[in-house]
Amino acid sequence: MEESDSEKKMEKENLGPRMDPPIGEPEGSLGWVLPNTAMKKKVLLMGKSGSGKTSMRSIIFANYIARDTRRLGATILDRLHSLQINSSLSTYSLVDSVGNTKTFDVEHSHVRFLGNLVLNLWDCGGQDTFMENYFTSQRDNIFRNVEVLIYVFDVESRELEKDMHYYQSCLEAILQNSPDAKIFCLVHKMDLVQEDQRDLIFKEREEDLRRLSRPLECSCFRTSIWDETLYKAWSSIVYQLIPNVQQLEMNLRNFAEIIEADEVLLFERATFLVISHYQCKEQRDAHRFEKISNIIKQFKLSCSKLAASFQSMEVRNSNFAAFIDIFTSNTYVMVVMSDPSIPSAATLINIRNARKHFEKLERVDGPKQCLLMR
Amino acid sequence: MANMDGDSRHLLIPEVNHEINPGPMNIQFDSSDLRSKRPFHIEPTNIVSVNDVIQRVSDHASALNKRIHYYSRLTAPADKALIAPDHVVPAPEECYVYSPLGSAYKLQSYTEGYGKNTSLVTIFMIWNTMMGTSILSIPWGIKQAGFTTGICVIMLMGLLTLYCCYRVVKSRAMISSVDTTTWEYPDVCRYYFGSFGQWSSLLFSLVSLIGAMIVYWVLMSNFLFNTGKFIFNFIHHINDTDAILSTNDSNPVICPSARNSDHPDNDSMIFYANDTEIHQFEKWWNKSKTVPFYLIGLLLPLLNFKSPSFFSKFNILGTVSVLYLIFLVTLKAIRLGFHLEFHWFMPTEFFVAEIRFQFPQLTGVLTLAFFIHNCIITLLKNNKNQENNVRDLSIAYMLVTLTYLYIGILVFASFPSPPLSKDCIEQNFLDNFPSSDILSFIARIFLLFQMMTVYPLLGYLARVQLLGHIFGDVYPSIFHVLILNLVIVGAGVIMSCFYPNIGGIIRYSGAACGLAFVFIYPSLIYIISLYQEERLTWPKLIFHVFIIILGLANLIIQFFM
Repeated sequence: MEESDSEKKMEKENLGPRMDPPIGEPEGSLGWVLPNTAMKKKVLLMGKSGSGKTSMRSIIFANYIARDTRRLGATILDRLHSLQINSSLSTYSLVDSVGNTKTFDVEHSHVRFLGNLVLNLWDCGGQDTFMENYFTSQRDNIFRNVEVLIYVFDVESRELEKDMHYYQSCLEAILQNSPDAKIFCLVHKMDLVQEDQRDLIFKEREEDLRRLSRPLECSCFRTSIWDETLYKAWSSIVYQLIPNVQQLEMNLRNFAEIIEADEVLLFERATFLVISHYQCKEQRDAHRFEKISNIIKQFKLSCSKLAASFQSMEVRNSNFAAFIDIFTSNTYVMVVMSDPSIPSAATLINIRNARKHFEKLERVDGPKQCLLMR
Repeated sequence: MANMDGDSRHLLIPEVNHEINPGPMNIQFDSSDLRSKRPFHIEPTNIVSVNDVIQRVSDHASALNKRIHYYSRLTAPADKALIAPDHVVPAPEECYVYSPLGSAYKLQSYTEGYGKNTSLVTIFMIWNTMMGTSILSIPWGIKQAGFTTGICVIMLMGLLTLYCCYRVVKSRAMISSVDTTTWEYPDVCRYYFGSFGQWSSLLFSLVSLIGAMIVYWVLMSNFLFNTGKFIFNFIHHINDTDAILSTNDSNPVICPSARNSDHPDNDSMIFYANDTEIHQFEKWWNKSKTVPFYLIGLLLPLLNFKSPSFFSKFNILGTVSVLYLIFLVTLKAIRLGFHLEFHWFMPTEFFVAEIRFQFPQLTGVLTLAFFIHNCIITLLKNNKNQENNVRDLSIAYMLVTLTYLYIGILVFASFPSPPLSKDCIEQNFLDNFPSSDILSFIARIFLLFQMMTVYPLLGYLARVQLLGHIFGDVYPSIFHVLILNLVIVGAGVIMSCFYPNIGGIIRYSGAACGLAFVFIYPSLIYIISLYQEERLTWPKLIFHVFIIILGLANLIIQFFM
């Protein structure tokens, strides 16, 4: 699968955090090599250690959870030696292997989404002094070229003051280095709060965060991995990151009406988050998006065990036919037809033709604005 | 996805097939895995009836189900990171199996922590497991301790071991930080004492197992010998008038150990000079020289079986044997009558003192007789009403004590003392009946068969524990298993040849393994957990240290008696 090849290439090229941003370096990724391409834009996933970022990333990106941070430690050793960090690094990795989950994700961002947005995970305000020092010394590099900052708050945290303090310092860094970045705050682990109190507590937090974030604007979501809120939050985030989403939706609607489909969904490729959808009938199940996403991600995991990759799927019975296929370079489409008399070939031809149209759509916008085109 | 390359190895785990056929009987439901199969549990309120025939599941529940399925793929099975916590998935009384197609079937299975067994069944299982071959040595033990002392010691030991068993059962509850639902007692030891705890509990467990297997071998040779002798004498119509001290009536009781020093042990002393056949038989059928070796041919192949589940079907033989022994003893007591005289400190020609200083021999035997501490947690797990665990355990212990007392007192009391001395009571009380006695012949046959079916089970347990911990694999290769079995069988054969005193073997191995599991670990773990919770008071500390000292004294004194 092209994705994994290019990711492998990325692995080899990522020799360390960038000290000097290389300009004009070829992406080495799929698709086009554009002459003016800026370096990869980042999505920062930050939060206190233990707030749930690793689980979240695992779930959204269908990554196997890397609990064995000893391995991480070794590769970081390689990578950071070149930066001549002192040897206290070895104690760091030893402490880690006792069983505390500390993610030290420098350029382990094999996860890309929405084109070449690269996900970086950072523990912010952890107990580790070494981590803190490294963080402060590399601040500018970390916060440069950030497209999106997602900050995760643990709702059960007892150190609210400290959390806010670290959040604010991150915001300062963003203001300095990437003032155009979008900020999202996730109040996580909401399942640990009693149901009747959830709205209240979330509203409180949201107000505080909005106030603290000025002059920057932040959007807040409440999430938990045990209900649909996590998926919805990330879907909203992705939705906001697409600049021409209204146009996309209109085109999708036209497409759906032309091919007489019941529902057409557009998924982001890596995470199967729903970017947009059109339905012409009332659907019964409100959770269907997340369910489909989970099913397909699970299927992708199974495929990868056989060193195969998932490309397309057709599900058919006497009541309906559903087609899931690669659409554009960053999206998957799912078409649900409830008229079983329409042969699959017809729908597949329609999808193929629509594909060309949508790709053209993506190319129309300029390289600087459009995220989908890298 | 590139990190899958390294991690894909973790994903290549055989997975449970979540696909089911519509038809609840086809579902393989491994109850020990219940926690990780939580997605199948759905609150009854989530079962929505679309039509009367098929119940459907609500969207919310099916979304959660799908979520949990997916999360379970993201981590290794041992990793608890993404397992649904209790407040997310409630544990209902009833279990529904959810088909991905949306319909739900109700299963007659049980959720974690709730067994199928009623109290009665649990009590019976505990009683059955505890009733071992040490029942044969109880009369000898009472004789060694003196009648009064013996009875008191039996009751006191019963209470003491019951208390320690109670501590074992409660030990898991004191650990709050880790999920202990699948833990057995060695796991608790490992939690408190690290790998030292694990290895030492393994060692002591093996001591008890191998001690039991040696006792079994000795007894089996004994019973096989007597059975063979009975059959031979029966076929050749020989009236076995051995020159052994015996009572001269229709219910003969013999005193095998009161012999002339000229005549070797365990051999029949009468042989007809002209009858070479019998002489041959005596030569080839000898309790300590040949019969133990014949058993090798029978039992060594059985030990090499990979899975002894076939033998566990014969579990009922144990109960039948014990019941038959009770019946036998009652009948003999009725026929022989009671012969009791109370001499408190000085023994007489026929009677022993009431209070003797060899009572530690009895405590040694009783430590093994009341030993169930390494598997009590598993036995109680299947109890339907978990809150009755302590009550059921106490009732079981009481019944066991009563059984031992009954057999011990009756055998001791009915032992015909005027012609024979009470000192003649053998370490295996069946030895006090001649091989021509039909009732005891039947008892020996029962016990022989029962032991032959339990022996492979014990061997399997020893193999699982030893090889599993050393090599990580229960069946590394036929050679490993064969060597282990040869060692165990060899030990049994050697003991049968040179030291066939089951009372001795039982008290040494009982005191040794009881030291760890009965006395030291439960008390020490209790003291430590109280100390960690800062609830340790001086009376409790002193009491439990006293128990530990008792255990140590129990072991040490075995070597001086």
